[in-house]
This record gives sequence, C-alpha cells and structure tokens, in this order.
Amino acid sequence: MAPEGARLGGVVADLEVSRAWLVDPAIGREGPGDIVVEDGVLRSVVWLDGAEAEGIDDRGVVVAPGLVDLHAHFREPGFEDAETVATGMAAAAHGGFTTVCAMANTSPAIDEASVLVRVREAAERSGSPVELLVYGAVSAGRKGETLAALGELSDGGAIGFSDDGAPVRSAAILRHALAYAGMLGRVIVDHPEEPILTDGAEANEGLVATILGLKGWPTAAEASAVGRDLAILTEVLADVPAARLHLTHLSTAASLELVRRAKAAGLPVTCDITPHHLALTDEWLAGARRWAWEALDEDGRARSPWADGALVAGPFDPTLRVNPPLRSALDAAALLAALVDGTADAIATDHAPHTRVDKEVEFGLAANGISGIETALGIVLAAVDAGRLPLSRAIEALTTGPGGVLHGWGWGGSRRLVEGEAADLVLFDRSTPWRVEAAGLASRGKNTPLLGRDLPGRVLLTVAGGRLAYEEPG
Amino acid sequence: MSLVAPDGTGIDLPAVAPSPGGSGTQLRWSHRHLLDLDVVTWPEIELVMRTTDAMREVLARPIAKVPALRGTGVTILFYEASTRTRVSFEVAAKNLSADVVNIAAASSSVAKGESLVDTIRTVEALGADMIVMRHGTSGAPYLAAEHFGGSILNGGDGWHAHPSQALLDLYTIREHLPGGPDLHGRKVVILGDVLHSRVARSNVWSLTAAGADLWLCGPATLLRGFDRWAAAMGAAPGHGRFTVTADLDAALRDADVVMALRIQRERMSGGLLPSLREYAARFGLTLERLGAARPDVLIMHPGPMNEGVEIAPEVAIDPRSVITDQVTNGVAVRMALLYLLAGAAGHHRETSGG
Amino acid sequence: MTADEIRRATIRISHEIVEKQAGTAGLVLVGIQRRGVPLAHRIADAIAEHEGVRLPVGALDITFYRDDLSLIAQQPLVKGTDLPFDLNGATIVLVDDVLYTGRTIRAAMDALVDFGRPQAIRLAVLIDRGHRELPIRADHVGKNVPTSREEIVRVHLAEIDGEDGVDIERLVPSLAEPVAG
Repeated sequence: MAPEGARLGGVVADLEVSRAWLVDPAIGREGPGDIVVEDGVLRSVVWLDGAEAEGIDDRGVVVAPGLVDLHAHFREPGFEDAETVATGMAAAAHGGFTTVCAMANTSPAIDEASVLVRVREAAERSGSPVELLVYGAVSAGRKGETLAALGELSDGGAIGFSDDGAPVRSAAILRHALAYAGMLGRVIVDHPEEPILTDGAEANEGLVATILGLKGWPTAAEASAVGRDLAILTEVLADVPAARLHLTHLSTAASLELVRRAKAAGLPVTCDITPHHLALTDEWLAGARRWAWEALDEDGRARSPWADGALVAGPFDPTLRVNPPLRSALDAAALLAALVDGTADAIATDHAPHTRVDKEVEFGLAANGISGIETALGIVLAAVDAGRLPLSRAIEALTTGPGGVLHGWGWGGSRRLVEGEAADLVLFDRSTPWRVEAAGLASRGKNTPLLGRDLPGRVLLTVAGGRLAYEEPG
Repeated sequence: MSLVAPDGTGIDLPAVAPSPGGSGTQLRWSHRHLLDLDVVTWPEIELVMRTTDAMREVLARPIAKVPALRGTGVTILFYEASTRTRVSFEVAAKNLSADVVNIAAASSSVAKGESLVDTIRTVEALGADMIVMRHGTSGAPYLAAEHFGGSILNGGDGWHAHPSQALLDLYTIREHLPGGPDLHGRKVVILGDVLHSRVARSNVWSLTAAGADLWLCGPATLLRGFDRWAAAMGAAPGHGRFTVTADLDAALRDADVVMALRIQRERMSGGLLPSLREYAARFGLTLERLGAARPDVLIMHPGPMNEGVEIAPEVAIDPRSVITDQVTNGVAVRMALLYLLAGAAGHHRETSGG
Repeated sequence: MTADEIRRATIRISHEIVEKQAGTAGLVLVGIQRRGVPLAHRIADAIAEHEGVRLPVGALDITFYRDDLSLIAQQPLVKGTDLPFDLNGATIVLVDDVLYTGRTIRAAMDALVDFGRPQAIRLAVLIDRGHRELPIRADHVGKNVPTSREEIVRVHLAEIDGEDGVDIERLVPSLAEPVAG
C-alpha cells in the first residue's frame, strides 16, 4: 500500500488502497471501497457492495478526506522555541490535517500585510503540501484599541480576522470590525471571554477548583461574552448584511445554548469546539484520567471523582491549564450534543504548543494551552469507540463542517472523495492504537496531558493536494 | 513476641488494634510525601496523634532532643514570608537532630527568577533528604515532589492545603475537648474567609474523617463553591457531609469548638467584602456571640490574628482559648510528621559512634 | 524456659541487684519497652517483698534512638517513655527481656544521658542469647541461651501475651514463615 515514488512533499505517483472503509461526508456516504491515486489525482473511487464488501467494517483502515483545522497556533514569528510554521505543518500532517488556519497572536502580531507575507513564506519554505490559511488580527497589536490593517490583510489573503489568545477587548472595536470585515467579505473570529471575570483565574469554577484551592473561572465569563458578541452582531447586520461572526473554542453548555438560539433566529454565526473540551474535564486537574463521558452516571449526572476512586494521577498537572479551562462533565456532554445536533459546526484543535520552560512550572504560573493537533483525531475516535458519536458525524466535524465554514469565508477548497480531483485524504487504522509519546510528536510542543496514553486511530498516510504530507514510518 | 531489627535492636510487632470501621488494621505510615490530607486515612491520623504524644514527652525533657533524624538533611524552603510556621518546623527538625537548612525565598536566587524545579534540584544536590515547603501557588508541592527524590512536607500551598496545621488543630481539639477526644457528633465551626483558606480546606478532610459535625460559616462571597463540596463529600468514603452557612447564629449555636480564620485586607480591594468594619460587625467572634455556643466551647485561631476584626481581643485571651496550645502543639505535631515521613522514605541514618 | 523458671530467675535477679548495691539506696529500675517494663515491675515487686522497699520503676522507649530509620515504617508506634524520678546521681538498673547484639542497650544508654547524669547504669536481662556486636555485658542474667543467628527468641509475659514462656524458633531463610523447632 506504500505510495510509490513519493518523498515527503512530493506528488503521490501511485497509491492503491483496497478494501478499506471510505467515508465521504460531502455526499453523506460511508462504506467499503477502494481508491486509487495516480500522479496526485484521485483516479478512482470504487464503492464495494455485495460479496466484495464482505468482511470489511469500519473498525479497520478508514479513508477520509483530509482534515481541516480552523484554529491552530504556529508561534512564528516570535516564539519559534515553541513551534515554527514548518514544525506546525508537520504536526498537522501527522494529525491527518491537510488545511490549517493559523492564528495571528505571533510577535509581532499579524496585524499588517508584511507579517502575513512572512508567515506565508515560511510555509512555502517548509515544503509541506498542507494548505496554510492565515488569520489577520482584528486590532492593532491585538490590543483592542484600533483596527488592524484589515483591508491590506484581506488583500494579502487573510482568511479572516481574530485577536485569539484574547477576546476583542473593546465592544466598540468589535462592532466596527464586524462591519468593516463584513464589507470585505471576511469573518471575525472571536475568543469569547470577559477578562474582568477571569482575572487570575486558574480552573473552571466548580467542585474541583473549590477542593484544589484554585481560583475559579466562571461559566459566565464565556457566556456573557458570547451574549455580547451576538447582540453586537445582530445590530451590525442591520447595516452590513454580509457581517459574519465565528465563535471559537466554546466550552460551556450555556454558550452553546446561546448559539443554538441565535442560529434558530437566523443569525449568521458559526462556532467550533476543541477535542480536549469534548473529552477531558476539570476532574483531570484533581488526578482523574477518564474520558468526560465516563464521568457521568446512567442518569447523566456527574459523579464526584473523590467518591468514585477515579483519581489515579497526581493533581495540578500544568499540561491541563488551558483557556478556556477544562469544564465539567456536563459541559462536555453538552458539547457532544451540540456536535450531534449541528449547533457546533466544527471541531477545531486550538493547537497551542508551549516550551517546557513555560509549562513545567507551578499550575497557577503555567502558560495556557494544549498541544493538540496530533491527538485530535484520536480523541474524537475515542468518543466514536465509546458509542458517543457516529463515525460519519465525527469525520464530518473534522472535514466538511469546518470546510463549510471556510466556504462562507471565501475559501475555494473542497473536502470530498471525488474522481478527477487532486487527492486530499487521510488514511487511519482504527484497529491499532498508537501511544502518544513526546518523541513521536512532530510538534515542538510536547505539552499534552495525553503523554503515555494510547489513542485509537493510528494515522498511516496524509495526502494534501495530491502530495505526500505524512507517511507512517515502517 | 520480640524480633530483632536489622540494626540489632529489639522491635515488637504492635498488637493488632481495632480501628474505626476496620478489623484490626496495623498502624503504619505509608506516604512518602505529606501534601494534603485527602489521601491520609483515619488510622494514619491516629498514628500521627499517638506519635505526637510521644513527641510531647520528648519536649518535656530537660534535653528536648532525640537523635531519630540524625544525618537526615531537612531543608525548609519557604516562598511566602512566615515566621511562626517556619520557626516551628525548624525547631521540630532540630529537636530530632536533623541537619537543617533554612531558605527564605526572597533572599535567594529564587528571587532572581530561578524556577521551582531548578531550585528543588539544587536543594537535592546539596543533600536534602526532606523538604518542608511553603508556596503561594496552589499545587506547587506536587510539582516539587515530581522532581525530588526525597520527601516533601507541604507547609502550605496557595489556598489549597496546610496539612500540619489541620493535624495540630485536631490534636489540640482532642487534647482539650471536654468529654474526651472522640469527635463523633461534636460540633466544630470554622468561621471566616473559607474561600481563600488552606487551613479550612485541610481541616475539612481531617474533621470529616474524625466524624465531627463540621460547619463552615462566613459571608456568602467567601463560601463560594463549598456547598457543592459538602454535597460531594457526603459520598466520599471515610468522610461525612458538612454544613455551609452564612447564618452565624445557627453556626455558633451549641458549638463545641469555634475556629476563627484571618481576614485579609486584600479581600476588600477584590470586591468580596464591603469593608473590614462590616465584616467585624456581622461576623466577628465576640464574647456576646460566643454565648450561643456551649459554655465550655474551645476557641481556636491558626494565627496570626487580626484582633478586633475576626476575633475580639477578649475572646483571644479568654480562658477557653487554646490558641497558644495550638502553637506549642505545632512543634510536637511537626516532629511527629518529620519522623513518620523519614521512616516512610526509608532513610538510613549513618551509624556513628557505636 | 518455663513460666516457673522465669519466676525463679526473676527472684534471683532481684536478690543479685540488691546484693551488688549492698542495699537498695539509690537504685531505680528502668524497663526497656516493651517487655522490659513488666519485668522491671516484677523485679520491683520481688525486692519490695524481701527488702520491704519499693524501688521507683520507669519505662524507656528507645524508638527514637535506633540506628535505622526504615524501621519506622515497620513499627512506627511509640510506646512511651516515663521516668518519674530524677536520674542525677541514681544507680539505674536497665531491664530487658533479651540481650542480643547490644544495640538496644546502647540506644537505651543514649536516651538516659539525655535525661540526666546517673551515678551508674547496670543491666539485668532475662535471657542472654550471645552474638554481641558491641562491648556490652549484662550484670544480671536470668539464663544464658546459646543461639544461632538463624533463630528468633520470643519471650512471652502474662502482662502482655497472656502467659509466661520462652520460644526459640528457627527462621527458614527461603520461606517467610518461621518453622517451629
């Protein structure tokens, strides 16, 4: 099955995958099939049935369109110790992603075209075939005081604008940005957080924060910001019908309920959730290591890990410190429900690599962020294995979901297994788990709480735009 | 029966004694570190109490010193300014003949930005077998424990835990409680800034393990989240529910023990309280309010006190106050903890002078 | 050693102690925890019977004076030291059930000097089983019992074990349980 004639980055000359499980969310189809790639083009896609389909199930090798990540931090320029564009793209490919959107909180921030150019050049130099889309900042320096060079950035190819890392601090700036960006046909991606409520906050306001003596991060800090953003969007639409808002890494049931209602009312808002908020909870800070869905009893009530004997690791692991913080099992369940009912449009990794110096410190002093682009698929497949999410919806949330969102922002790409198109796909094997190990991560950021853990779904091959992006060694 | 220990001295295997809820558990200390009381069982707490009794006897001798920890390096690493606790630990370690090194963070390279992990490694390289640590960030001792080959004794981390304080509080209560040391059903009230108190949190673990009828009382803003803990605690094995209330009169009524916590000025600038004056007026422990408690109520405070704020001066010196006993017991309890931790770590004392 | 032998040895030791001191003046008995304590009390009872003088009896716990900290985990329970008299100038007779390597006695002497400066320290033991590792000898011995290092001597006293007696058991090196023999 090994592709012939391809080095990393080179065109895949000849690849045949037979008797695998194909998933094509664009046409809502999955089943046994064969594919053939020749000279970078998906030459044939054959769906098998009857006798030929016998013995093939969705628990072995799966072929899906290449994954799309709406939210990753590649730290270049300015923080190359943590990640560069090149290492970030290698990590993306290892994770099965063929399109990644990089955030603007670099140093300097991507608040003018010249910095955008630097990032694109770094992407080209890397030789990686993974498609890199880049956000511009909303405000100059991400300070929230004046608008960044939105028009220049848009002309330079920015996929949208975001001050992520932080919310758009000023409501007034958000309002103007939504209008201006709408005029340009670009989206504003907001990280919803009310900073006054989160000053010094360390962990989700809840049982675990209380017992561990950590300063609480109230749900209201996210929900109130979401409410603010939706209210502002509603008003801006009156003048600028093309205004678009995307809310990133929503983590609470309350926030998703607000988005659910806004969508029902027809507001052009989209949102994404991260794999770690789907599968991990604040229990992990106390030393639990069970998935979020394992922390609920049959009636859907959260169980206390102290009563359950669920604490198996030491508490205060700084790799768990993230913004927004890991929430309760009930919030995680709400995220899963939002994925199933479509309120959540996509899973986005919020890949946030950090150096050991920034992470191997006291919990309250640790930088926020989880290095997640390589573990995203595995986490989502764990939910599928546990019966919490159908495989098709999982793949959708990682491909056509974010792809659809990008289309709304002017992206011209596609994610489907269609003959005659450049091959853009990921092959992974659900029958063999892979162990998350620092040495095995392509990212410079080893800050993941999943080190040493086995995840389902070993990525075997990633092909981006017809070229080899990742191949499993051996 | 007597056996001979590897060093040639005779040892007795302790008679199997019944423990609450158990069928003859052998009392032993198994924890390499003491970071919090959440993992310490009631039999282990009993062991600490009995070892403290023995240490009290040592402290009463003309030479209040035993060679139990001779050759053991104990480093006291305090990132937060504290005189009483730091000195208490230093005296405890010296009474056990340990080699004591005292590091006050402000005066060391720590102030210049050396990371906690680097500091721990340096301290270990310089011969520390045990580290007694106090730090302003919750969870810091856990990070230290991961990078240290010896034992860590948590002298207080952020808002999270202060295990030696809770144990000396328990010892003091049992020593003075009218009607005997059994705390089952006895009403113990912790009053004040519970939210920011590591003393309160550690006492929750030990007092619920002791079976006390525990009440936490203070202004609603300073009790945030504890109701949830009380509900969850009811299900935790070996512990029981406690009551959380802002109703001071209900809390003090018929109380056997009242422990007042320190209120800090920063709480007002954070907007949690209107003023210290208002706190004193509504929640300050006065003689009048204490009238609702049992006449032989024990009065406690972990110190240092803001007299006139959380506790009236006349209450602090009332004959029913055991606040000074808390301090003296602190040395004995800390000696017991250092001794038990040294044993668990299996340190070997260099035998010298046979 | 039978219960009877223990009783006779105790009485003989009590006479020897008085004889060595040429009387009872200045004598105090200090039993080493754990079984040295009831033995010390029995000796004091015997002396009270034949001399009419009740000597002071104390208990000494050497737990804090042992060489080996790893023992704390095995036997952390401290049984307590109680010396309700002034040691300065007294003639202390340490009492223990078994004398073996001598390290327990050395630890006991370390402990005693922290309490004061006795005039003299003597040693009375029920059983001396040999194999001294330190230059320590007993002034008064109930019985000399030659043993090998693979054996364990177990003294039972009624006050603690319900009955009097002495067992010697052989440790089988490859098994956890000793085999009675």
